[in-house]
Amino acid sequence: MVRQRQTSLTRDGSIEPMVEVRNLEKWFGEKRILKDVSFDVYPGEILGLVGKSGCGKSTILKILCGLLQADSGSVSMHSEEVGLVFQGSALLNSYTVKQNLAIALRRRKLNKKDEERIIYEKLELVGLRGLEDSYPTQLSGGQQKRTSFARAIVNDPKIIFYDEPTTGLDPVISTVIEDYMNDLEGRLNAASIVVTHQLSTWTRTADRIILLHDGEIKWEGDPEGAMISENPYIKQFAYAKREGPLLDSAV
Amino acid sequence: MTTSARSRNNILRPFDVMFEQFGKCCQLIGQCLILLCRTIGYILRGDIDKTETWRQCYRIGVQSWFVVAITALFTGFAMSLQISRELVMFGADTAIGGVVSLALVREIGPITAGIMVAGRVGSSVAAELTTMMITEQIDALKVMRVDPVQFLVVPRFVAAMLMMPALSVYAMALGLIAGIIIAYTAANVPVATFLDSVKQTILDRDFGTHFLKAWLNAIIIIIVSCAIGLRTRGGAEDVGIATTRTIVWAMTLLFIFNYLVTAVTYAPR
Ligand SMILES: Nc1ncnc2c1ncn2[C@@H]1O[C@H](COP(=O)(O)OP(=O)(O)OP(=O)(O)O)[C@@H](O)[C@H]1O
Ligand SMILES: [Mg+2]
Repeated sequence: MVRQRQTSLTRDGSIEPMVEVRNLEKWFGEKRILKDVSFDVYPGEILGLVGKSGCGKSTILKILCGLLQADSGSVSMHSEEVGLVFQGSALLNSYTVKQNLAIALRRRKLNKKDEERIIYEKLELVGLRGLEDSYPTQLSGGQQKRTSFARAIVNDPKIIFYDEPTTGLDPVISTVIEDYMNDLEGRLNAASIVVTHQLSTWTRTADRIILLHDGEIKWEGDPEGAMISENPYIKQFAYAKREGPLLDSAV
Repeated sequence: MTTSARSRNNILRPFDVMFEQFGKCCQLIGQCLILLCRTIGYILRGDIDKTETWRQCYRIGVQSWFVVAITALFTGFAMSLQISRELVMFGADTAIGGVVSLALVREIGPITAGIMVAGRVGSSVAAELTTMMITEQIDALKVMRVDPVQFLVVPRFVAAMLMMPALSVYAMALGLIAGIIIAYTAANVPVATFLDSVKQTILDRDFGTHFLKAWLNAIIIIIVSCAIGLRTRGGAEDVGIATTRTIVWAMTLLFIFNYLVTAVTYAPR
């Protein structure tokens, strides 16, 4: 089920991490969402970030993208080229699908022909050819998600964050997206973080999983390990059980 | 604390509430000034998206022409009727055109167009940007390293600077037509006499003031609506709050600044 790849070598310490996160702490008003979160993401690696709803996964991605400020801790990213697939698509509603991708390409100041070529190539990939002149409100939820995916990867980023990239998609398109995530990782040697509740997505894409709970990382390991671990947090999560520590501190 | 508990507390401490409101005012004014500086910075560097600016010109013009026309006409009717009445009593019928046009060029044209544009365009810009903010569209722009000020504010600002003078002149022209109609029907002043009087009274300087006010109104409306839109976070109800706040703020500032221009240019020496 899990793919083979040469990048398992990358964690021998000789390779610099692309993303370094140290001791993140984040408060929202009186609530301390992140207490002390540290991890690295290496080039050519997909890190799965899991945890129950509301535990702060999207918050971590937003801090990494500079959209939110952490209260303490540090983040260093070793590439300027960052892509983020938003949980809620976040497409610009007054622009067509094609224009949404073009906006992401703006700063490269390409000529019209190259721009079109790249846009059509990415739209082809997510199966949206023919919809390029539609507005986001004319698309289904899944089509919006795929547009958002195409937009995030249009610049072939070296660091990519996926917030629920396959949620709400049919299994076939999910597989296409997952394959593409793996492909990007291999081709661009990109470092990625995928936040997902979908078992198939994390088993098919993630090289390593971290489980976030109560603002801390409670478990770290590979996807096979997650299925056999005795750690109560990951065990409850992987087998979707009601009983366990994840629900104990429910708000 | 529940809302009712809070409002009870607020009633007991009116000065705290006033103090807090004053603080918020200062904060918004600061945000507006920063936004204005950044916008002008982009314009000076020539960083203007022409297609988008054109789109916004169209939007501002199309959204506003009808309401501006109606308000300008009826303000013109009412004002001309009052002025005609008084001047006829003094036997100064021939001066009606001059007085009506003075009021229109110096005051009524810019402020009428300003208020209507604030109501139509200011509120829709605020609603649009607030919605973009809460649906993370602005965040998406930032991740794509597109500055929302350059992408969203600059085209709206430039478009308003282009369209506002046109709308003010348009309001003035319609007000004048209203004046001609009233002068002719209510005071028997021939059109030629009316226009003669206009020509003798209006100076070039009056048009200077007219355009100065129009540009100032454009700046106020766009900067206030964008500043409020871009700072709002939260949910759907915040769209309504931002819209209302924009209209209140933009109109208040419109009246204040239009008076300040008048005070500076027309104060008796
Ligand atoms: N702007 C905000 N102001 C206040 N609280 C917030 C804000 N954004 C998020 N939160 C809170 O922070 C917590 C973490 O939110 P976050 O969106 O990161 O969760 P998540 O792990 O992505 O959940 P999900 O899996 O449901 O997407 C939530 O409890 C949420 O209520
Ligand atoms: Mg989330």
